[in-house]
Formats: sequence, C-alpha cells, structure tokens
Amino acid sequence: MVMARGFGSSVPLQSGIVPRGSRAVVFDSIFEVFLLLGTLVGVVVLGYMLYNAYKYRFGSGNGDFDEADRLTVGELPTGGGGGRKLFTSFFMSMVIVVSLISWTYLTLLYVEEGPSAEDSLHVEVEGYQFGWRFTYPNGHTTDGVLRVPADKPVRLTLTSADVFHNFGIPALRVKSDAIPGQETETWFTANETGTYTAQCYELCGAGHSFMSAEVIVMPPDEYEAWYESTNGTQSSENTSAIHSADTNALQPTAPANAGRLTEVVV
Amino acid sequence: MTDTNPERTDGGTVTDDHGHDFPGTGSIKRWFVTTNHKDVGILYIVTSLFFLVLGGVLAWLMRIQLLVPRGPGETILGPLAYNQAVSAHGLLMVFWFLSPFAFGFANYIVPLQMGAKDLAFPRLNALSYWLYLFSGILFGVSFFQGGTFSGGWTMYAPLSVPTFTPDVGASTAVLALVLFVASVTVSSVNFLTTMHRMRAEGLTLRSLPLFSWTILLTVWMMLFAFAALLAALLVLSSDRLLGTTYFAMESPAGALLWTHLFWFFGHPEVYIVFFPALGVMAEVFQTFTGRRIVGRKWFIIAMVLVAIQSFAVWMHHMFLTSINLQVKTLFMITTIGISLPFDLMVFALIYTMLKGKIRFTTPFLFVFGALLLFIIGGITGVFLGAVVLDYEFRGTYWVVAHFHYVMVGGVTALVGGLYYWFPKMTGRMYDEFLGKVHFAIYFVGFNLLYFPLFVAWETPRRVFDYAPELAPWHQLATVGGFVLGLSFLVMFYNLFKSAFVGDPAPDNPWEYAHTAEWAVPSPPPLENFDGTPTYRNGHLEVIEAGEIAPRRDRSDTPAGSSVSADGGIAASSKTAVSTELPTVESTAVEGPSHASIWPFVLSLGAFLVLLGLSPLQEAAFPSGMAGAAYATTAVGGGVVTLGSLVAMGLEPFHGPVFEEGEAWPFSGIDNGKVGMWIFLASDVVLFGGFIGAYVFTRFAFGWTGWEPIPSDPIPGLVNTYILLTSSFTVVLALVAAEKQHKGALVTSLGATFVLGIGFLVNKGLEWQHLFHEGIWLSTNVRSSTFFLTTGLHAAHVIAGLIIALYLTARAWRGAYLEDSRSVEYFGLYWHFVDIVWLFLFPLFYIL
Repeated sequence: MVMARGFGSSVPLQSGIVPRGSRAVVFDSIFEVFLLLGTLVGVVVLGYMLYNAYKYRFGSGNGDFDEADRLTVGELPTGGGGGRKLFTSFFMSMVIVVSLISWTYLTLLYVEEGPSAEDSLHVEVEGYQFGWRFTYPNGHTTDGVLRVPADKPVRLTLTSADVFHNFGIPALRVKSDAIPGQETETWFTANETGTYTAQCYELCGAGHSFMSAEVIVMPPDEYEAWYESTNGTQSSENTSAIHSADTNALQPTAPANAGRLTEVVV
Repeated sequence: MTDTNPERTDGGTVTDDHGHDFPGTGSIKRWFVTTNHKDVGILYIVTSLFFLVLGGVLAWLMRIQLLVPRGPGETILGPLAYNQAVSAHGLLMVFWFLSPFAFGFANYIVPLQMGAKDLAFPRLNALSYWLYLFSGILFGVSFFQGGTFSGGWTMYAPLSVPTFTPDVGASTAVLALVLFVASVTVSSVNFLTTMHRMRAEGLTLRSLPLFSWTILLTVWMMLFAFAALLAALLVLSSDRLLGTTYFAMESPAGALLWTHLFWFFGHPEVYIVFFPALGVMAEVFQTFTGRRIVGRKWFIIAMVLVAIQSFAVWMHHMFLTSINLQVKTLFMITTIGISLPFDLMVFALIYTMLKGKIRFTTPFLFVFGALLLFIIGGITGVFLGAVVLDYEFRGTYWVVAHFHYVMVGGVTALVGGLYYWFPKMTGRMYDEFLGKVHFAIYFVGFNLLYFPLFVAWETPRRVFDYAPELAPWHQLATVGGFVLGLSFLVMFYNLFKSAFVGDPAPDNPWEYAHTAEWAVPSPPPLENFDGTPTYRNGHLEVIEAGEIAPRRDRSDTPAGSSVSADGGIAASSKTAVSTELPTVESTAVEGPSHASIWPFVLSLGAFLVLLGLSPLQEAAFPSGMAGAAYATTAVGGGVVTLGSLVAMGLEPFHGPVFEEGEAWPFSGIDNGKVGMWIFLASDVVLFGGFIGAYVFTRFAFGWTGWEPIPSDPIPGLVNTYILLTSSFTVVLALVAAEKQHKGALVTSLGATFVLGIGFLVNKGLEWQHLFHEGIWLSTNVRSSTFFLTTGLHAAHVIAGLIIALYLTARAWRGAYLEDSRSVEYFGLYWHFVDIVWLFLFPLFYIL
C-alpha cells in the first residue's frame, strides 16, 4: 500500500534490506529471519552437542585422554586445552548476534520515528480497570471501540486512569504501556479493513483477562463519514461511560463488551 | 554422630567438649539448635523442595484453568484467585524455591571446597535459614488473610497498593518478602566473609572450584540487588501499612519508580538464580567427562563480566514505558553485551566433552539436559534483545516460555546437583535406574510443557481467556505440566528410600571428581577435615593441628578471652547486624561445639512482629478483637526478638577456629570487621534506593516546585552537630578500650548513647511540630519521602542505641578492655549512620 514504502525520513533507506512498512510487515519480516536463523543455530549447536556426547561416550574408545593426566581428587582446579576452538566459536556467535541486532536497530530507528504528525490520525488512549477509552482530535470519546481508517497511520498517546496497563493490538503488531501519570506514544497503520481486538498485556486486576476493545478498520471514505457525524456529539456524556454501554449508536458491539466487564467486576 | 545430652537446652556452653553437646542427627532437637553448615544446607534443601511442591501445585491450578479459554463465569478459579495463583507461583518459585535450593548446596559444599570448617558466622547462618523458613510460613499465612498478593511477581504499582489490592494477605505477602530479604542479607554477609577470608592456604581465588566461583559471584550480586529490593519493599510496605503515597495512583511517577526499583533488583536476580546452576553444570561436566573444563580462566572472566554488567541492563524490561530512544539504545547494547559471555560459557562446556569418556549417570543426564534447554532459552532470548521484536513479545507467552527454559533449565541442573551430591550428604547411593527414569520423564514433561508455549506465544500473560485456536497447544502444555510435576514423585521416592537403605557411598563415588568435598568421608564429619587443609604443594593435604604454624599477618587474635557480641537491629524489617567473633581457646581445642537455639527464637520473634503488623492501614490497627490480637502478636514478637538478640549476644559461642590461608583482598583484617564492611556496603545500596526514589519523584514532580517539608532547618542543623559529636565520642570509646581505661570507656559509650537520645528527642519534637501543622506521612508525596527516608535513618539510630546500651552495660562489667573489637565495629556502624545523615540533611532540609 501507500505506506509500505516508508515515510520520507532522516533514516537512510538501506536498499530494501531494512524492513519498512506497517508494524505488522516490519515485525513479521524480522521475526521470520530470527526464527530461521535461530532454528538453524539451534539445530547446529544441539546437533553438535548430541553428536559429540554420543561419540565420546564411555566405552566408545574415542576418548583419548591420558590416564596420567586424569582428574584426581584434591588437585587445584585448572583448565583443559582447546582455547582456540572456544574463541573461534565465540567470535562466530558474536558476529551473528551483533549483526542481527544491528540490523534490527535500523528498523527500530524507523519505528521510533514513526509517521509525521500531519499525515496521521491522532488518538488518545486511556486505560482503566477494565477497559479502554479513546479520544479523537475533535474531542469525541468512545469506550471499548476504536475506529480508524485503513491505510492511514494512526498515532496513539497512551496513559492510564488507575493502574499500570499495556495496550496491544496483536494483529497489527502495536503495543505500548499505559502508565498512570505518564504518557507513552506509539503508532500503527492498518492496511486491511476489518475488526481486530485490542487487549491488555499487563496484569491489572480481576478483570485483566477480559480487558479488551474492538478496533474497527474502515474504508477511508466510510470512516470520514462516521467521523463527520461525531462532530455534534463530542459532549461529555460519553466520557462518563465507564461501565455503562457506550452511548454512540454507531457502535453496537460496545454494550456487549461492557456487559462482560460488569460481570467480572461484580 | 554424637550423643544427645537432653539436659542442655542451649548448647555450646562448655568449652572443652568437642561437640559432645551436639544432639545426634536423629534427634529433632539437633535440627533446631544446629549451626553446622552441612545441617543448615540440608535444612535449606528440604525446605526449598517443600516450596517447590507448593509452587508446583499452584502451577497445576493455572494449567487446569488454561485447558480451554475461559470466558467470564466459566472459570474454575475465580479471576482474583487465578491472579493470586499466578503471583504466588512466581514469588514462591523464584524466592522460596530456586535460590534457597541452590544455597542448600552452597551451604553444604562451598566450605568443603574451600577447606573451611564452617562458615565464618555459624549462628548467622542458622539465622538465615530460620528467617527464610519463617518468611515462607508468613507467605503461607497470607493465603488465609482474605487472599494473598494478586498483583503478579513483579508487583507493579499502583496495583500493589491497598486502593487496588486491599486484602490483609497482600500486605503479609510483601512483609514475608521483607523477611526473606533479611535472610538473604545475613547470608550474603556471611558467605562473602567466609569466601574471602577463610580459603585454605594455596587456594587462591583463581583456583577456586567453579561451583564456589558461581556462588561467590551470586552472593556479591545478592548483596547489592537484594538491598535495592529491600528499599523497594520497605517503601511498598510503608505505602500499604503507614499510608505513604510513593506508589499511589496520584503520585507523578509512582508506577515508573517501582519498575526502576524492581528491575534494578530483578535483572541481577536472573543471574542470581542461574549462576549456581551454571556452577553445578561446570563441576558435573568435568567429573563425568573426565576432562578439565576448556578455557577455565575465560569462563571465570565471563562470569565476572556478567555479574558486574547485570546491574546495567534493567531497563530492557521497560522498553515500552516512556523511556526515550537514547536510553533504549544504551540498554539494548548492554543487553546484547551481557548475552555474549554466556555464549562463551556454553561453548566451553560443550568442548569439555570432546575427547572425554562421558558417563551418562543421572547427574550428567540432568546437567546435559539443562545445557540443551539453556541453549534454547538463550536463542529465544536473542529475539527479545531485538527491541522491535521485544515490543510485540512484551506481555506474551514468548517471554513466559523463554524464561521458563532458562530458569527451569537452571532447576534441571540443580536437580542434577542434588543427585551428584546426594551420596556425599547421606553417605548412601541413590538408585541409578530410578534416577534415569526420573530424567526421562522430566525431560519429556519439560519440553511438552514449555515448548508449546513458544508456538502459542500470542497468548497474553496472566490471562485465561485466550484465542480459541491456541487451545490445543495449551492442552499439550497442561499435560506436560503434569508429567513434569509427577516425575518428581520418582525422585522423592528414590532419594527418600536410598537415604535409608541405599548402598553405602565411598568418599568419592565418581571417578574423576576433583574438588575437595570428595576427599572427605561421606557424609563428612562435623568438622569436615581432621586437621588443617592446605594446597601449598599444589594439591590438597590435611595437616594435623599443631603441625602447621598459623600464618597470620596480624597477631591480634586474642587468646583466652571468648567474646561474642551481636549487635542487632530490633523489630521488623532490617537485617540483624552481627559480629560474631571466631575465638581461639587458650587450650587451642580443635572442634567447634556450637549449638544455639537463639537463631530459631529470633526468627520466630521477627515472624510474629511482621504478622502482627500485617493488618495495619494508615498506621492503624483494625478495630475490635482482631486488631487487638494482631497488636498483641506484634508486641509479643518484639519482646521475643529483643530478648533473643540479647541472649544471643550473651551466649558464649564458639565459632570455627581457622588458620588464615588465602584471604585476598581482606588479608589480616578480622572476620567481624570484614562482615561489618560488607553489611554496610549493602546498607549503602538500601539508602541509595531511598535517596534515588526521592530524587526520581522530585524530578517528576518538578524539582524547583518542591518545597522542603520542614519549614525550619534549625532542628536538622542541631541534629547534624549532635551526630557529629557522637561520632567523636565513639572514637574516644575505642581509644579508651585500647588503653584499657574502663571509666573512660563507659563514659564515652554513655555519652554516645545520650547524644543519640538527644538526636531522637530533637527529631521527635520536630515531627510533633509538623504533625500539629497537619503534615504527616500520608499528606502528600513530599511529606512521604521526608518522613520515610529520615525515619529509616532514625530506625538505624535506634538500632545503634540498642547496641550502645548493650555495650555500655557490658563495659560497666569490665568487658572490651582485653578485646576492643566490638567497640570498633559498633563505631564503624555509627559513623556510617552519621555519614548518611550528612547526605539527608541537605537533601531534605535545604535544597
């Protein structure tokens, strides 16, 4: 999509080696490489270990240590030989790890910078026991449902009204702590319309398991229409809707969610 | 073992019977009065295994809950009960099982490996154990006080304050942790003093066996990390019991403050629990491959680097908080940096197998399996080091699976250690076949339990309502959990039976074992070696007493006098400061005959105090009978604690006699003094935590907008002069003692005491004044930091005054003239308390 090319930014493009795009694209491509390499390294190291454990098992005749040089009780501990091999392996593992992490660091710079403020929709998120409240730029506030347009970057500013929460939309690979007294920022771009689930990722009390919200990604024109319609309803009655049903008629799923919560709380 | 003498209740009062007053191992009394490191080691192991079972049962409850996704009302455990199970499982396994299990081995094996007869302060060692046991019991009690703590083992604020977790049990759980930290601090001081001061001649640090090396580094990390945790826990206790508002929802940075304090402790803690397992791996690998470890020097250097760097990685637990990119980058680098030394250690272990003759006995199977699991844990940990991936893994089962592979991987090695040293500890062999059966079931169960969690990594942590398509993986994990847990039945049966009817074990049942514990009988005699062990000719020799000229850099160890002074801190939360002096009998009798009931009684007293204080809220007991009962318990506990401290101080106690061998870097410095220095080092971190919390909170509040609480700095200034003067009188007291001038000694000590009282009275007046102005602990976060930090200092002053009073009374009756060390150590403590005030006064009165 449009955003997949990355934003014009101070981070130099690394001729396609550094993953860019939506958070999901970035995460998936890095995760894939890590899984592949991790499995490879794991299989090689564990295989080598098992092979040698078998090869040098007692009675195999492969062990060639000198009986005169065997370990005896009460000797002062010293080391055995084989230092060169040790350093070669250590150096190799260091190269793999450091290069992998450096590679992801370039993506981190990209993720940290995020989309420019002008290009993106800005939504404030407030966690509370046990739900999520979203405030749009026009002051409209919803509870339990976040509506965003497809293909447009969304910047979130998060905080909490009570305890430490963590807001995450797993399918869109976005996550951030919601901390009382602090503000954190994150962003995401949803490329496909549909309904996603946001969840709390920090233990926050009895309702933690059920502390979720709906994220509805709408076609941009439908979103615009909906957003226009909220202009008249930016009153404060919405903000007071914590455990009660969301008052916005356009959000039919919210009451069900709120109902779930009340069960837990009570 | 020796016979029981049922008449004596507080053994150790007779100087010339070589352990004959020590009840036999078959006697129940033995286990209450013992201070022998091997007995204490066994107590630690048995107790920790009990907590393993308890934590395991809680894990089973969670796994049953997770069989299917549970919507509201479909749960087996209620939501809060589930949170309690999650939290208690984590706390029990990390604190009450893992470290104490490892320290069972450390207690038993380290003195043997380094050629010591016992730890430097045997009674403090017993005290550590009893504090540990009673802290565990206190944690157990918390379940019955409306439910235990339910905010996760990380105890994130502000969920951890009574606004959100109001149950008394939650406070009790926090207090249980405080008591546990007291145990750890006492133990750390003891181990550090022992390991630096009491190594056999020729056994330099470089040639210390690897298991002992891991314990040495673990204990250093513990000393500082747990002091930081103590600061965090004391502040949290104060928020819960006294109503201070550090972590309250309204506090500008309370939630973030807790994450810093907790993870500053929490990340070193990872290595604290893993290092001993690494040590077991290194020893068992060498023994059963028959080869010396490859790159031993580098292995040690790698561990030292990790131990130091472990204090500089904590913010990688906080990548999604409001810290900025620069800090994230820094901590990403340190995190990757700390992972690399582990690569080296893993390769060193693997290459040690090459060209060996590997015998797949039960200990080796477990340790080999542990290395496999640790490698998987390590690789999956690199994923978390990539910050972009960490962002998504945060709070998911990827983290859960990863740290269980690492932590329970460590447990696997320690179980191997249990089989390895079982013959040494019991004198009997375990059943090898059953041991292998245990390993097979254990290893299958482990992977069946934890590997599916990687696959189901998208499950949020501590949640039981997860995506339905992940259910099959969770069901596999649940089956694995039961297989893993039940495999321990085989072990318990095997070890229990073998302890009584197993084949007798020779001194060294393992060919190619090389460390010193295999050179003594199984089980070793009470005094370990029948003489003085030395490595001066490059290998272990035991020289009979008298044959070796004691090598001393200073000849001030007194002969004839036997002084044993314990300065202690009373009441609730601070560790006991103690200076037990090893004494040399004029007759040079070998053989410590030490038994003491007071460590047990003292711990019981501390337990009662904390239990009694647990229902406090806003510094008030609940009304009615319950409140009265709690208050009575607290007061009774206080009396028991103080009484046993005094009794312990007066008890003629004979610590281990030792010839100084290798003692770098504390050569020629008395054990008691070294112990005091080490304790004060941890106290520096404790105050550092408090001052850091104050500075952090004040920055978040706005530094300049923060008015000092006392509007008038004059009382603080006066107190500064009082304390400085009292430092001077303590110096005078030491001079008087050295000059054997009794009158001057009593006068100087008395003057110190009076000055200390003056300090407290002045402070009391100041606080009363503030109270009348309506400023108290819970008024706001400014007043909270003021009262709590200066209050902690005042508690140190009070503790010092109790010791001063004790010293004055003893001096009146003629003590300390022959041996002034107790006065000197008290002086060290007192000067430290004064120096702390020199920091607190400008911070809280002037700036």
